[in-house]
Parts: sequence; C-alpha cells; structure tokens
Amino acid sequence: MPTPRQISVTVNGTVYESTVEPRLTLADFLRHELALPGTHVGCEHGVCGACTVLWNGRAVRSCIMLAVQTDGTEITTVEGLSKDGELNAIQQAFVEEHGLQCGFCTPGFLMTITEMLDRNPDPSDEEIYDYLGGQICRCTGYQSILAAVRNAIEKKKAAS
Amino acid sequence: MTSRIPNKIADLPNSSPRFIGQEVERVEDRQLVSGKTEFIDNVSLPGMLHCAILRSPNAHAKITSIDTSAAEKMPGVIAIITGEDAKRWTQPMQTVPEGWGTLCLATDRVRFVGEPVVAVAATSRYIAEDALDEIIVDYDPLPPVADTQKAADAPPIYDEHESNVVFQRKFTWGEVDAAFTDADKVLTDKFRWHRLGANPLECNGVITEWDIIDGTVTTRGSFQSQVNMGLLSAGALGVPSNRMRVISQPHGGSFGGKGGPRGTIITALLSRKAGGRPVKWIEDRMEYLAGGAGQSWDRFYDVSLALKTDGTITGLRVVLLDDLGASAEGFGAVSAAKPLAAFTGPYAIPVAEYDLTLVATNKLPQSPYRGMGPPPHNWALEQMVDLAAVELGLDPAEIRRKNYIPKNAFPYTIASGNEYDSGDYEAALDAIVEMADYKALRREQEEAREQGRHLGIGLVNTIEPGVFDWNAYAIVGSQQTGVPEGATVGIDIMGKIVAKVGFSLEGQGQYTVISQVLADYFKVEMSDVRVVPQDSLSAPPHFGPGGSRLGVAITGAVLGAADRLREKLIRVGANLLQSPPEALELSDGMIRIPGVAEAQIPVAQVAATMLARSDLLPEGMDPNPEATYVWTAAGRTPADDQGRAKSYLTAANACHLVLVEVDTATGMVEILKYFIVDDCGTRLNPATCEGMTQGGVAQGVGAALLEEYVYDDDAQLLTSTFIDYLIPTIYEVPMTTKKALVTPSPYTPLGAKGMGEGAIHTTPAAVMCAINDALRPLGVKAHEVPASPRRLWTLLHDQSVG
Repeated sequence: MPTPRQISVTVNGTVYESTVEPRLTLADFLRHELALPGTHVGCEHGVCGACTVLWNGRAVRSCIMLAVQTDGTEITTVEGLSKDGELNAIQQAFVEEHGLQCGFCTPGFLMTITEMLDRNPDPSDEEIYDYLGGQICRCTGYQSILAAVRNAIEKKKAAS
Repeated sequence: MTSRIPNKIADLPNSSPRFIGQEVERVEDRQLVSGKTEFIDNVSLPGMLHCAILRSPNAHAKITSIDTSAAEKMPGVIAIITGEDAKRWTQPMQTVPEGWGTLCLATDRVRFVGEPVVAVAATSRYIAEDALDEIIVDYDPLPPVADTQKAADAPPIYDEHESNVVFQRKFTWGEVDAAFTDADKVLTDKFRWHRLGANPLECNGVITEWDIIDGTVTTRGSFQSQVNMGLLSAGALGVPSNRMRVISQPHGGSFGGKGGPRGTIITALLSRKAGGRPVKWIEDRMEYLAGGAGQSWDRFYDVSLALKTDGTITGLRVVLLDDLGASAEGFGAVSAAKPLAAFTGPYAIPVAEYDLTLVATNKLPQSPYRGMGPPPHNWALEQMVDLAAVELGLDPAEIRRKNYIPKNAFPYTIASGNEYDSGDYEAALDAIVEMADYKALRREQEEAREQGRHLGIGLVNTIEPGVFDWNAYAIVGSQQTGVPEGATVGIDIMGKIVAKVGFSLEGQGQYTVISQVLADYFKVEMSDVRVVPQDSLSAPPHFGPGGSRLGVAITGAVLGAADRLREKLIRVGANLLQSPPEALELSDGMIRIPGVAEAQIPVAQVAATMLARSDLLPEGMDPNPEATYVWTAAGRTPADDQGRAKSYLTAANACHLVLVEVDTATGMVEILKYFIVDDCGTRLNPATCEGMTQGGVAQGVGAALLEEYVYDDDAQLLTSTFIDYLIPTIYEVPMTTKKALVTPSPYTPLGAKGMGEGAIHTTPAAVMCAINDALRPLGVKAHEVPASPRRLWTLLHDQSVG
C-alpha cells in the first residue's frame, strides 16, 4: 500500500494538517476525517453532482478527486455557507422557494450556484441552465430550484 | 372511543387559521440547506465496522466453491460471511406471493448479476473492498432466462417450482364478453414498458448491531417504513419482533425503493460474527443500479377497448405480462395488483378484465417505484383512448369528456371494485383546455406540419389512488385490511408542543404538515411545535410514507391525538372554572366557556396545571397532558374473490396537456409546452403539493424518454452507471404551468387526498400520446417506453428493424 502523505488544506477557513492515504477521495476525507458530512455522495462516479465543493473557488466533484490533490489549497463546503446560524442568500432562497425536498442533492446545488454567482452575479437563463445541467435532483423537477436561483440573484443584488 | 377529526379546515378550533392550507416554509429545510441533517452515512458509532459486498458477475450459475482464506488474513478484516452463514442463521426473505425468495446471500446458485455472494466487515470501507479482491468464487454458468416472453417455457430458475410463472390469473369484472360482442368497434394494441426505477439521490444505507447476550438487533438506516423493515428483518433473522429495533434516519429520497431488508440482514450477520460490533453498509450507485431496490415494471401489455360509434367505451380488457426478475422478494407482485384501485381511470367503463401473468427471469428482482404499478397501465389505457378518438374521428378531449364519471355520481364504485371519493373531471378538462388554449395549439400544430415540423399534443387524464390499503393486494395474498398510522401529541410544562411519530424525513415535508396542523389546532406558532421521530419499538403503531397516504394519515393521527388531548384539557379546565365539562370548549388556544369573556384559561396553563398542580386536578385524573391516536381509513372492505374491495381511500385526478416536437432526423423529442390541472382535494401546503407534482413530471419525463435498465441476451446489465442510466436533468424537464382545482374528499381529515406519487401517473402517458400524435401523419406508432432517440429513429427510418 502506498505510503500515507502529509497534507495541509484550508477548509471553510480552518487549516487542517492531516496524514492521508493517497487513494482517499476528497469526499471521504471531508466527510469522515474532518467530520464535515454535509457534502453528500450520490453516485461516486462524477455524474450527479451531489458531492460538489469549491476548490480554490471552482466547483469540483469531491467523489472523483483525491484528498492529496488539495494539499496547499482552499476548500469550501456547505458547512461554510452560513455564518453563526444565519443562512446566506442562496440557502435562504432555497428555503423560501421550496427548492428542495429530500435535500440530499442540495449541498451540491448550493456550491455550484455559489461558484456561478461569484463569477457572474447576473447570469442569463442559458448560463443558469449550463451550471444546473450538471446537477441531478430526483425530487423537485428543478422548477423550484430555478426559482430559488432567481430569488438568490435578487437577494444578492438588493444586498450589494 | 372515537375522536372528532375535522373534515374541513374551517372546523378546526381556531377562528383564523394561519398555517394549514398555506404555502408556509418547511420546518425541515434550514437543517437540510446547511448540510446538518443526519443521513445514515453521517452516523458513526463507537467500534463500527464497514461492510463491502462481493456480487455475482453471472446472471445464472452454480457456485462450486468459495475461498475466503486470503481475505480473512488481511489486517483490518474482522468478519466474513457467505451463504453458509445465511443458511445457518436466517430464513428466506418474505416474498409476494410466498415461496419465491432467497436468503440474503446466494447459497448454491446465483440468479442475477449483482446478487450478493460474500460480505466482509473491516475497519474501513477501503479495506473491506480490498478484501473482496482476495476472495475467489468459482462458478459453473447455467443458461440464463433473459427473455420475458419466453420465460414461462424456459427451464425453471428455482428447483422447487415447476415453471417460471410466479402468478397467473384472470380477473373478470362484469359481463365483459357481452360488452365486446355487442361493441360497434373493438380496438386492440400492444405496449411495451421497459424496466426503470426509483434512483433516489441517496442509495441505501444501514448500521446494524446484534447484541448476542440480550438477543436484540438494532438497525439504523435509510428506511422508508421502519415498522415494515422491522417485521421483514425480524422474520428473516428469527428475532422476536420486540427485540428488533429499527431506527429510520432521515433519508435522501426513496420513491418506494427503500424497503428491502437485505442490507439489514447482511449487516446483522456480520455484526453477530464480529461479536456484536456495529456494522455499516453504504450502498454505492453501481450496487444500487445492478443489485439494489431500483428496478421496476418490465411489462408487455395487450389492451382492447369495446366502443360504441359515438365514442362511449363499454369495456376494457388488459393482458399484462410482467417480468419480476429473479425473485418476488419485498413487494413482488403487489405492483401489478395495484392498478385494481383505478383500473378504468376517470372513465365510467362498466366492465373490465385483467389477465395477469408474472414471470421470474435472471434479472434483478423488482422493487416498488413511485405509483407502484399504475403508471404503465395508465399509458396503455390513455393511448387506447387516443386510438379510439382517431378511429372514430373524435377529438381526444371530447372522447374523454364523453366517458368521464359524472361529478354527481360520487362516491363511485369502479368495475374493479374500488370506490372513488369525489371528483370533477370535466372541470379539470375545461380548465386545461382554456389554460393551454388547446384550439390555438391545434392550429400551431397544423401550421408546423405545413412547414415539415412534427408537433404533437398529448391530452390525458388519470386517477391517483391515494391512502393505500393492504386490501388492495388481496389478489396476490395480502390478508390485511387497514394501515395504521399513529401519533402522540403532548404539551409540556412551558406550553410547547411535541408530536411523536414513527417515521423520519424523506422529502415530502410531513413534519411541516404536522406543525401546521397543530399550530392551528392550538393557536400557537409553528415554531412552538416540535416533531420528534421515535424508533419502531417506541412509536405508536405506524407505517410511514408510502402509497400516497402519509399526508392524509398523519393529519388524521395528530388531529385525533389533539382531540383526545382537548378532552383531557377540558376535564381539568372544568375543575379550574368550576363548570361542567360539557359547558367548555377549546377555541383559539383557550379552554373557555363560550359567551363568558372572563371564563377562559390558556391551554398552556391547563397543561402546566396537569403536571405541576395535582391539587387542582379532578379526582382520578391521569395527569399526563399527552394523548395518542392511531388513524386508519374507515369503511375499507375485505376483497371478494375477484379482488374487488374499497381499498384506496381517495381518488385525486389530474389532467395534463403537453406539446412536443419530434425531430425526425434524430429521433429526439423536445417538450415545448406543458400544462397541468390537478385536483387533490384540500391542499395542506400548496407549495409542497406543487413540488410533488413537478417532481412527478420529472420522473415521468424520465420514464417516457430516458430511463431504461438494459439487459443483454445473457441477462447482463448494460446500464450500470448514471452515464448509461439517464436521470432527467434541468434540460429535459419542462417548467410546467399549473392550476389547482379543489374537490375536497368527504372522507378524510381536512378533506385532503393522497397526492405524493402524483404526476408520474400522468406524465408518461401525456408525453407518449403527444409523440404518437406527432408521428400519426408519418404512419408509425411508438409502442415502447422510453421513446428514446434510437427507438424513434429506427421506427422512422428502419422499419425492417423496428
């Protein structure tokens, strides 16, 4: 078995020094080693998007990345979105628009939308579809998620 | 003792209800959007081991040897079990009908690709999976039974059965032969619905501990019905039912596919072998697709309609061949029986016949999926109605209107025996025709055809049987009538309300409904109500979600419990106000004497009196401000010899109108417009109802266009990832225009009808009817679901193959 490696990674603003097996996925590292289980695993082959996290600001699938790849980088997970129990604009929009049912895919959607709105606070419908098209939700039929995205855009505009 | 359960929101003891019937935010959501909800894979117990399962690569083979010796020596591997352990410690899993099951691990023979053969418990999942690589299983392949239509005559896959026919019977309701003899016209067509299934975003997961000293098994998991899981597991493990403790964790969707006990039985055996340590098994997606509870409805239909020239449908014959796969475990034949609850849809078809054959093959055993059987049946029926319209030169809207059960005919008993509670189908049709501007769409279609574009309109209507009852499945062996759902409602010394129930979060927002109902009943804020799930041994009798029942059933349970609590509060209030109990009422959160302004005490104060002032209580009073009620649907009847019973309590109806375009060059279907008129009685939380409907549309679009488990001629699964098994994304699912009609149920708590399965009953039929409407001028018919681009292209361009 390959030798475990030492990594240093910043997750939601906290620096973690860890020794990990090279084969450990980023999702398992976050969920089981760092006790951040809000990142959910839906397919383990990079299709469904439930495990999406931000890696240096980019939305990536943590089920098909290895923890060792994140050495020296920054990760944001769903646990990093709210502050002191206050939901952020995107989370609040999902609650208001009933943008979730079982909620298992939701963290992945929230992280993808975070990246989208960080890059462009006023995306076109085409851009929204482009981003959401890689995330699978089995419950909602996407209509309320689309409404939540539009709600979040308005909330962020009003706040800026 | 009966409870007063209001049939209308206006009958709640609240002059101005604020929550029930309103689009309130869900109490579940703040946790969910924060990633804080405790799904099963978030749970970790001290000393917990991790399970990985070695599965059969063969569809049908004898197991000649299993060598686990190398795996046993690996550091971190604690326990390994094979079919021999399953034989020693367990019984076959329950099947419907009986006698078509296996143990949790294959013994001498494997019968489907993905069947569990060996299971390992190790200190990490990574080590457990490494160990699988070191296990050697020798197989002697047998010829697989892969062709559903030839299965009946193929060599039996079970030695103890003479053939692969699991169930065969013809049900006749009325003078069917006469109806067909006397018909002006008889139409017959065939339909093929390929396998698809639930695929919740979270697969199955379980953690089980077997306390060998105490003889108790505790299992936590992603369980839709914990009591059902408990009974199925206890039966297989030989554990007394009161020593089988089941804890349902919040789960990431189910859609019917989280009912099987196999994971619990396997982890229980591993725990037993590991000295009682908890063992976790988290199913991955490839396990789910090949060997999980995710495949349903593998059907061949042969359907006939008897018609009068004016379009009146006088008889319906359905011949169904369904491929159950390698066993009838779990709910087996139930899904083919469910269509009895709404066999003739919204139509007043007086007689009908159902010729049902279920066969076993070497594919994954079927599992329940949302709708539990009617969605394919509805497509076959609705497509036949469209065919009749074409043959008789009628508009699809008008032939439907002509055959509807009239609104003054309710309650109405259909030919297959169930009773529909209420409905106004013509109103739904009128509403959708207006909302969609149906005439304009027909003009648009004509214009498009002139330009060489192929647009099609699907206009269909369906019934959703709601509030399931076991008696609906009497024809396949169910002996029960009634499905109890209980709740305990209490008020604590600070006046806060706790509701204890027997189910966890699944996505339908039932904790929100409970909070809405109780907040309005006692006139408090929704945040003053807390819903606390209990395990299978501590909860009142329950079933949980399933069969579009929980919203109605739990509303009945909490209202029944609240009413019993009201009676207690009034007894105490009578003592405090020194008046007879008959003079008092609960109203707007007060126990009071009507018409006497000062004679009122807040409910919270009365409850606190019960707990803290025994000196003020009536003599002999039970001082517990808490009450339990177990709701079950009234008036259900045992089935007769033809399966006829009052079964599902409610009949929601929906009318869908969809406009599609078929690209004849590629076989691609694009949904251009989608309209829905839906009537599920009183809408307890309209936003939740809308979400259920839209989610059902998505799954219906998947069924009609995308989703299919493909097995090759050797019964090898070709669709074992989400790259091959296509779940609809936002690009494929239409944003729908919806309108709600409200025809309350006269029988249910607050007049609500079951509606959680909803649009999957309707959408596949609507999309398929639209596709066939588009194809009609081209002289071809789409008879297979899903209507994938390959299938449509073949139909259009290579008819020698199609």
